[in-house]
Amino acid sequence: MDPSEVEFLAEKEVVKIIPNFSLDKIYLIGGDLGPFNPGLPVDVPVWLALNLKQRQKCRIVPPEWMDVEKLEEIRELERKEDTFTPVPSPYYMELTKLLLNHASDNIPKADEIRTLVKDIWDTRIAKLRLSADSFISQQEAHAKLDNLTLMEINTTRSFLLDTLNCMYKLRSNLQPGSSGGKSQDHQ
Amino acid sequence: MPCERKPMRYGHSEGHTDVCFDDTGKYIVTCGSDGDVRIWESLDDDDPKSINVGEKAYSLALKNGKLVTAASNNTVQIHTFPEGDPDGILTRFTTNATHITYNSSGSRVAAGSSDFMVKVVEMYDSSQQKTLRGHTAPILSVTFDPKDEFLASASCDGSVAVWKIEEQTQVTSWPLLQKSNDVINAKSLCRLAWQPKAAKLLAVPVETTVQLYQRDSWAQVGTLSDDLGTQAINVVAWSPCGKFLAAGSIGGLLTVWDVESKLCVERQTHEKGYTVCGLAWHPSGGQIAYTDTEGCLGVLDGLSSSSSSSSTTTSSTMTKAPASYDDLFDDDDDRPLDEGISEGARSPAKNPGDEDDDDDLIPATGRARNRSAFLDDENSLDTGSLKQGLDKFVDDVGSAIVLPAAVAAPLRPVYDGPMPTPPQKAFQPGSTPAHLMHRFMMWNSVGIVRGYNDDQDNAIDVEFHDTAVHHAMHLTNSLGHTVADLSQEAVLLACPGTDELASKLQCLHFSSWDTNKEWMVDLPKGEDVQALCLGQGWAAAATSALMLRLFSIGGMQRELFSLPGPVVCIAGHGEQLLVVYHRGTGFDGEQALGVQLLQFGQKRRQVIHGEPLPLSRKSHLSWLGFTAEGTPCFIDSEGVVRLLNRSLGNMWTPVCNTRDNCKGKSDHYWVVGVHENPQQLRCIPCKGSRYPPTLPRPAVAVLPFKLPLCQTTTEKGQMEEQYWRSVLLHNHYGFLSSSGYEIDEEGQSQAQKEQQELLMKMFALSCKLEREFRSVELAELMTQNVVTLAIRYASRSGRMALAQRLSDLALEKANQLQGEEPQEEEEEPLQYTRRNTGYSQSSSEMGADRQHSSHRQAQEEEVDEEQGQEEHMDEGDVAESKRQGLNPFAKGTAASPEKPSPKPVSKEGRVNPFKVSSGLGRSGSAGGQNRVTNVLDSMMSSSKKPTALLSSSGSTGKLNKTPFLKPLAPRPKTKTQSTLLHMNAPKAANKKAAEEREPAVCRLKQTEAPPPASPAEDVENKKHKSGFQLWLEDNRRIILADNPDLEETDVIKEAIGRFRTLSADDRLTWTERAKGQSGDVADMKKRKRGEESRGDKNGQSEADETRQSEADETSAKKKKPLDTSTKLSAFAFNKN
Repeated sequence: MDPSEVEFLAEKEVVKIIPNFSLDKIYLIGGDLGPFNPGLPVDVPVWLALNLKQRQKCRIVPPEWMDVEKLEEIRELERKEDTFTPVPSPYYMELTKLLLNHASDNIPKADEIRTLVKDIWDTRIAKLRLSADSFISQQEAHAKLDNLTLMEINTTRSFLLDTLNCMYKLRSNLQPGSSGGKSQDHQ
Repeated sequence: MPCERKPMRYGHSEGHTDVCFDDTGKYIVTCGSDGDVRIWESLDDDDPKSINVGEKAYSLALKNGKLVTAASNNTVQIHTFPEGDPDGILTRFTTNATHITYNSSGSRVAAGSSDFMVKVVEMYDSSQQKTLRGHTAPILSVTFDPKDEFLASASCDGSVAVWKIEEQTQVTSWPLLQKSNDVINAKSLCRLAWQPKAAKLLAVPVETTVQLYQRDSWAQVGTLSDDLGTQAINVVAWSPCGKFLAAGSIGGLLTVWDVESKLCVERQTHEKGYTVCGLAWHPSGGQIAYTDTEGCLGVLDGLSSSSSSSSTTTSSTMTKAPASYDDLFDDDDDRPLDEGISEGARSPAKNPGDEDDDDDLIPATGRARNRSAFLDDENSLDTGSLKQGLDKFVDDVGSAIVLPAAVAAPLRPVYDGPMPTPPQKAFQPGSTPAHLMHRFMMWNSVGIVRGYNDDQDNAIDVEFHDTAVHHAMHLTNSLGHTVADLSQEAVLLACPGTDELASKLQCLHFSSWDTNKEWMVDLPKGEDVQALCLGQGWAAAATSALMLRLFSIGGMQRELFSLPGPVVCIAGHGEQLLVVYHRGTGFDGEQALGVQLLQFGQKRRQVIHGEPLPLSRKSHLSWLGFTAEGTPCFIDSEGVVRLLNRSLGNMWTPVCNTRDNCKGKSDHYWVVGVHENPQQLRCIPCKGSRYPPTLPRPAVAVLPFKLPLCQTTTEKGQMEEQYWRSVLLHNHYGFLSSSGYEIDEEGQSQAQKEQQELLMKMFALSCKLEREFRSVELAELMTQNVVTLAIRYASRSGRMALAQRLSDLALEKANQLQGEEPQEEEEEPLQYTRRNTGYSQSSSEMGADRQHSSHRQAQEEEVDEEQGQEEHMDEGDVAESKRQGLNPFAKGTAASPEKPSPKPVSKEGRVNPFKVSSGLGRSGSAGGQNRVTNVLDSMMSSSKKPTALLSSSGSTGKLNKTPFLKPLAPRPKTKTQSTLLHMNAPKAANKKAAEEREPAVCRLKQTEAPPPASPAEDVENKKHKSGFQLWLEDNRRIILADNPDLEETDVIKEAIGRFRTLSADDRLTWTERAKGQSGDVADMKKRKRGEESRGDKNGQSEADETRQSEADETSAKKKKPLDTSTKLSAFAFNKN
């Protein structure tokens, strides 16, 4: 899976905007949106919010969790816990990136939020690497990781799988007696 | 409080300070951590004399022209006073002295030091010193017994000790304080004080209280405390007379107690809340000087008047313990001080002339202050009672009777009656207070006007919610505008007048098509704009001259009129102007506001004539305006939203309480707009405040309305609330249509549908609860068509009495509707609106409905033609059927032979539904019928049930219900009527179908058929009969013979039963027979249909018939298409 695909999925998330135009309900395959009243918050998917924002047709109301204090709390918790803590949104990284890139003027303390989310991300990725490392070094057959987001899984998936594959090959070559022979049988 | 706290002034650099007065009280002397001693002639002395005594000065004492200071060079030095020349070193310690003090005569100095020692040194001979050892930590403070026998000291080791000076021994010691290792770490400086003169008491500040210890017995005899004192007391000082004790705390609280009564007579807080570390009484007792740890010096003045205000206490203590105070007065060396106090006590009673005599005794400043303070205090009260109080006082003093403490109460003149409320100031609804630097000058449904008034900038930002209106604007606010309003056309700003400049009204008319988009008007001198608003094409400004000036939006001056009182706020919408003003003085927190609602435009008139505005108790107005639909609305400070109920004699109905939605007690909702359709209260949640800040930009939230009806937790209450809310919030349709605006017909019919549905639900509920009377009450609110439905419901649930009453009601309603039509033209539009809510169906609405429905049906028909499929079931919804239900009456009128001419055109140009839609209505209803038949037909086609059975149920219904509808019989069986009744049937059937989907509402018995069918049947039967009817005619006698005691209905039931038992063939035969009777007509019409367009009702029905027959060849449905029983049977089938 490409990160851009994950981002695409994230664009389905709902965000509040304050439109500066007036429009009746619009009927889309994914559901009805609107009505849009100028000055009145309305829930729309991120892709529409960004589109409207780029055309200067709305202001984006940042999601509730996109707040310095809340993120600091999450960061502290993330650092304290050894396991993964629940994140405020399954697409927190993507949403942060999208919203901050396109609507940073509507988000108070955008820079701090960017840093905080990056911190959280880094902490989690470090944990992920660590658990992958222990998974491999202890030669476990399976492992369970809770509260991972799609993007996080995605960053490690290809590499981890390839690595495991390689290691399997190497191992099977190391022990020609048992597994090596078997593989030859299969061939 | 009579005591006056003077503003603090800078004395020394930051750090510990100390203060004292000189013997005469002429100078204040302070020392501080900058090492200087400053001599102030008064607090206002801008050039105090400074004497440097060292790097830091810790403490000072002054008596007999000798100034003793404890400096950081571990010495206690002497300087002459007031010259400030060094006069030698009194004593030394191994570390710095922390506190020094004179004895009462000034012959000795005691000094406590950080080296745990207390030294007592003779002034005249510094070699004669006594050292008191025993403390195990630095000394905090020392104090002499005025009789020179003892000395008390407090130390960081937590103990307060009393020493016998001569023997240098510790007499007693109390572990009262918290231990610490150094003075700077000690929680409190614990400046002890021994009561002067009497020397009976030793005051020790312990935590937040002052403990009093008795001399000799060394027992604690009392505690002085103050409820407000939450922080440790740092320093205490006795008044020179020894009756009062002042204390200064860490938190900056200064308290004065009357020691005898242990009452707090004076309480002041440090203006910045800094720690008080030095405290000294003026020798006259009328002043306290204090210093804080920030190096500032302050003075409390007029203190003797505080004692005078408690003179009763003073005098009573004097009588209670005359002996103890007598000697006090006698032997004391500074009598004037004492006089000062008693003078203070007596002065209010005395003639000012008397006072001149003892001027020499009392420092003039203190005296003058006493008096003025006292008078100032009393001036605020009622003069009459003051005089009375004074008289009493004089009497009491004159007769030398000591006032008992209880007299204090009558002394203070008290007005017990209701207190007038300060009138609320004029404001702009949707603005935040003017004193804020960054504020919203206006937030309404159009946009936001923000005002900035800080150091860099004085500007106004205008921003529109809808950028299509206009782009954002930034103006420099050089005129200092304070009020603003914003509309789709213009921005209106106004500033108050100044000495030079008149108050100005500025309008940015951005929607103007010429190039001049701005105009400005100067108001007459002395007249200020207090409130303003914008309407459609006009602007209004209410001024301080109780005037309301109207301007056209282009800047032309229009009408002006006087307001009955000072304006509170005004609001405009379209052609309406709402003014709220002060009607009078409110009492006990209430505001007395009046409201006027004016209507401009074609019909200029006053709709509300200055009636009182009903605010919540003890609240003020916080928002005033119109809903987006133009209904006046206001919100008070208790958060209650009230809406004008035009249908209830222009009363105000509470529709919401924003406080109910608040989580915290101090949270508020700041309202920015009210909408009736959809029902929204747009507001900004403010956490912990009343007003939102401009940054971060607040987000609008939407609150629902909720009428404060009783028992809204119950189903009944909920439905009642919903119903009345719906009625109230859809009043505006009536108003809008009456004032010639276009209305959203769909929304309106939607609302009516909702209301009728609610009524039906409530009806069903009250039926379930066996509340038949209430059911009839509910039915009275229903439209005629829904009543028929209710009748059916009632009859089906076996409530015949109820059904009977309802049918009477239905008849009444039908008559009423017919009777109303001719009157309609004469009626005033407004009355018309009012009538609306009564049963929520006015003719105009009906007209609108009909137009709408006909339009819609026409469309549907087309689809029908093309597809002829069942999908139309979906569209045959309740609303539709209701609308159809409405039609017959209107159409009947148009088509009625009795009223052959269409209604005359209304002169007001308002839409006359009857006229406009007479043609349309016909086609509409025809279409409706067509459609309904269609739907049923398609159902038919999908079913294989014998229609004979179904039609039989229809006729059963007819026979069954005939008695109820009998009153209709005498009326001429005109086409009108037949249509009318005929139309009910599909409606009812449809409604029924809808109800089937709502199982909660109705459970109908299969065999019972809709009642309204019957009259139609009557008509129809003349032309043809169904198979069952024919069969029934033949077999009735047999059935009656079999069961002679059967009622009419039972006969039919029986007949149905028997008919069913017949073989399919037999039934078919009967049906064929029935068809044969009417077949010719039908055939003829069928042909006609082929040629004609779909205008003709019969033709249409025929078309359906054709389709239907195609769909189901075997069906017996070949009879007259107009037959209601078809629909009814379909309905019955649907039930199956």
